[in-house]
Amino acid sequence: MVRNIVVLGGNSHPALVESVCNILGLPACNRILTKFSSGESRCEIQDSVRGKDVYIIQTGFGGNGSKLNDHFMDLCIMISACKTGSARRVTAVLPLFPYSRQPDLPYKKAGAPLFKTGSENGKKDYTFDSVPATPAPGVPRSAGLVNGADITSRLAKTSLTNGTGSVSPVKQTNGDAYFGGNQPVANGVHGRVGSYTTHDYENVSHVGAFEAKPGYKQWVAQAGTLVANLLTCAGADHVITMDLHDPQVQGFFDVPVDNLYGRPLLKRYIQTLIPNYKDAVIISPDAGGAKRATAIADSMGIEFALIHKERRPTKITDRQNASMMLVGNVTDRVCILIDDLADTGNTITRAAKLLKKEGATKIYALLTHGVFSGDAINRIKASAIDKLVVTNSVPQDEHKALLGPKLDVLDISPIFGEAIRRVHHGESISVLFNHD
Amino acid sequence: MSAEMANEIKLISGRSHPELSDKIAKRLGIEVARTISLNYSNQETSFTVGESVRDEDVFIVQSTATGDVNEGLMELLIMISACRTASARRITAVIPNFPYARQDKKDKSRAPISARLVANMMQTAGANHIVTVDLHASQIQGFFSVPVDNLYAEPSFLRYIRENFSTEDCVIVSPDAGGAKRATSIADHLNTAFALIHKERPRPNVVGRMVLVGNVEDKVAILVDDMADTCGTLVKAAAVLKENGAKSVLALVTHGILSGNAIETLNGSVLSALVVTNTVPLGDKVERCPKLRVIDISPTIAEAIRRTHNGESVSYLFNHAPV
Repeated sequence: MVRNIVVLGGNSHPALVESVCNILGLPACNRILTKFSSGESRCEIQDSVRGKDVYIIQTGFGGNGSKLNDHFMDLCIMISACKTGSARRVTAVLPLFPYSRQPDLPYKKAGAPLFKTGSENGKKDYTFDSVPATPAPGVPRSAGLVNGADITSRLAKTSLTNGTGSVSPVKQTNGDAYFGGNQPVANGVHGRVGSYTTHDYENVSHVGAFEAKPGYKQWVAQAGTLVANLLTCAGADHVITMDLHDPQVQGFFDVPVDNLYGRPLLKRYIQTLIPNYKDAVIISPDAGGAKRATAIADSMGIEFALIHKERRPTKITDRQNASMMLVGNVTDRVCILIDDLADTGNTITRAAKLLKKEGATKIYALLTHGVFSGDAINRIKASAIDKLVVTNSVPQDEHKALLGPKLDVLDISPIFGEAIRRVHHGESISVLFNHD
Repeated sequence: MSAEMANEIKLISGRSHPELSDKIAKRLGIEVARTISLNYSNQETSFTVGESVRDEDVFIVQSTATGDVNEGLMELLIMISACRTASARRITAVIPNFPYARQDKKDKSRAPISARLVANMMQTAGANHIVTVDLHASQIQGFFSVPVDNLYAEPSFLRYIRENFSTEDCVIVSPDAGGAKRATSIADHLNTAFALIHKERPRPNVVGRMVLVGNVEDKVAILVDDMADTCGTLVKAAAVLKENGAKSVLALVTHGILSGNAIETLNGSVLSALVVTNTVPLGDKVERCPKLRVIDISPTIAEAIRRTHNGESVSYLFNHAPV
C-alpha cells in the first residue's frame, strides 16, 4: 500500500492502468473523461488531489475508435486540472511517447513508398538554372554552398536526370538545404517535388493534388519538441516513458524524463522461451537500431547481424528489396529481430523476407511498441515472421485477436508499477535499467 | 527580387475550414500557401510545408470542426511550431471559433480551465498574435500574454437586421442573463426594444421555468447569442417568446456549432430562422436545415489580417462590417 499517491488513467489503455493500480495496491482515481457533443474534451477529477503525488497514465496510441490527438489533449487537460487542483507533483506516464518517431521513409497506406514519377512536375517549372524560391536577393546561386562545390555537377550525378526522380528519404527539420551547407546536396534536393514523405490514408486524392512551390524542397514538420513543450506547459513535473525511439527526445524536456527499458523483458523472453537461444542470431532491421540490438546480443553473448538499408537512389523497379543488404551470416540459424517500434510493419516484414531468403530457419521479431496501424496486421500475417513478441505499451487485445498464437504479449505493468513506486519514494530507478 | 518581396502575408490553411481560408485569400488577393496536413495511419498529424515562410508574416487559419476539436487544435499547434522553426517573422493564429472557450473557469473542484491551457499551448507552440471572433468570454484575452484581437460579428448582424426587417417591428432578446450585454448593444445600435429571458434554476443542472422580462407582443423577436451548440436553450426560448405573442422568432448566433441533434431540434422548433456566421464549418447542415442562413464573416477576418499586416488599427472593424 502506497500512500499519498494518485494514479489517474486516460482512456487510451485502461487495462494497463488497472494492472499498475493492482501492483501498487490502490484504486485508480475516479474521474469523468468523455467528450462533449461539440467535440471538446470533458474532464472532471472526482477525488481530491491536493498535496498528492499524481501519476497520469496515457499512452500514445489511437485505435479502437479513439483518436491519438484526443488522448494527447485529454492528457494535457488532466495534467492541467491536477495542477490547478493543487497537486504536489504531476507525473505524465507515457508508455509509448506520441510523435516520438516521424517516418523517415516516404510511404503510403500500403506501407510501401509512395512514388509518383517526378518526370513531369519535377521538371516542369524547374531547371537547374532556376534560383531557389528562398529569399536570396542578389545572392549568387552557389554562394550558399559552404564547401564551394558546384551544385549543378553534383545534382547531375543523381538519377534525377534519367527521370526516375530521387527516392532518398531525408529527415529534414529545415527545408533550407541550399543554405544548410552541410546537407548532402546531391541527396535529391529537387527530385522529391513529386514524391511524398507522408501518406494520407483517409484522403489519397488530397495528397495527389499537393505540390511544393517550384524550387522549394518540401519538408515535414517534426512535432517531437512541440509535444515535449506542450506537456511541460500543461504542468507536467516529471515524465516517465519507455524505449524512446530517439533518446534525444529526453533533451527536449526541461523536466526530468525517465526513459525505462523494455530490454530486460525481451531478454527474459529470449532466455526462457526461445530454445537454443545461444545459437541464434540477433538482427537489427536497420542501422538506427543497431545499438539497441547489440546491447542485447552482447549481454547474452550471442551473435549479431545487421540489415542495411541502401539509401542511394536506385531504380524504382528493384528498390523494394535490392536496397536491403544483410551484414552477417544467418544461414540455418534462428533469427531474432529486435526493434523498438513497429507501425506499419514495413521494416520488420521486409527484414524477415530478406532473412528467409538468406536461409534463416525461424524468425522471431521482438519489439517494444507494437502499434500496427494501417494494414500492418495483414502484412505481418503474410510475412515470414514466425513469432512476434511485443509489450503491452499499447493495447494489444485487438492485435492478439487478429494474430492469434503468432503474437506474444509481454506485460510491462510491473516495470511501470515499480518505477512509479520508486519515483514516489525518491528511490533510484537505475536498478530498473540493469536488472536482468 | 527586392527587399519588399519578403515579409508578405502567407495564409496557411488548416484542414478544418478550407472554404473560409479560400474566401479570405480571395478577398486579400493572394493564394493560400502550399502546405498539406495529413494523418499518418498511426493517427499522428503531419504537416508538410511546400513553400518558404522565412521572414514572412504568417497567418494560420484554423477553425474548430464540430466533433474534431482536438484534431484541429493539435494540427494548429503543429503548424504554428513548424512555421516558427522555419523562421517566420510573425505567426498569427486566426481562430474564428476559439476552442474550449466555455471551459474558462474553475466552476467546481478540480475542473480544468481548458481555455487557459489552450491559450498557453498556442503560445508555447510559438504564436505571436491571435485573431478570433466573438470570444465566449472576453476575459479569455487575459489568458494570453500576446495580443489578442477579438473581432465582432455584431456589425454583420446589424446590417442583416437592417436589410431584412424594419427595426420598429423588432425586439432584441437575450436568451440568458449572461448574454444581456451583447443583446443590449445591438438593441442600442438599432434603437429597438430589448427583452430578456430569465432562466430559473431551482437546483443545479435542472433548468426550470423560463420567464420573459419585457414585451414581445406582435413583434419580430430576434434572439442574439454567441454560440448555438445543441440549440436546446434557443429552441426553448423561442417557444417562450411565441407563447408571449411574438409574431415570429429568429435567432442570430455567431458560432453555429450545431452538435448532436441540433439540426433535428431546429427543424422541429418554432424558430423561423437561425442566422449564423461561417466561423465554424457547417458541412451539409445548410442542406439539412432549411431554417439555417449563413452570413459570410470572411471580409471582416480578411480586413483584420490586412490591417494587422500593415500595422493599421483594427478597431474600425468593431463598428463596421466590410462588404
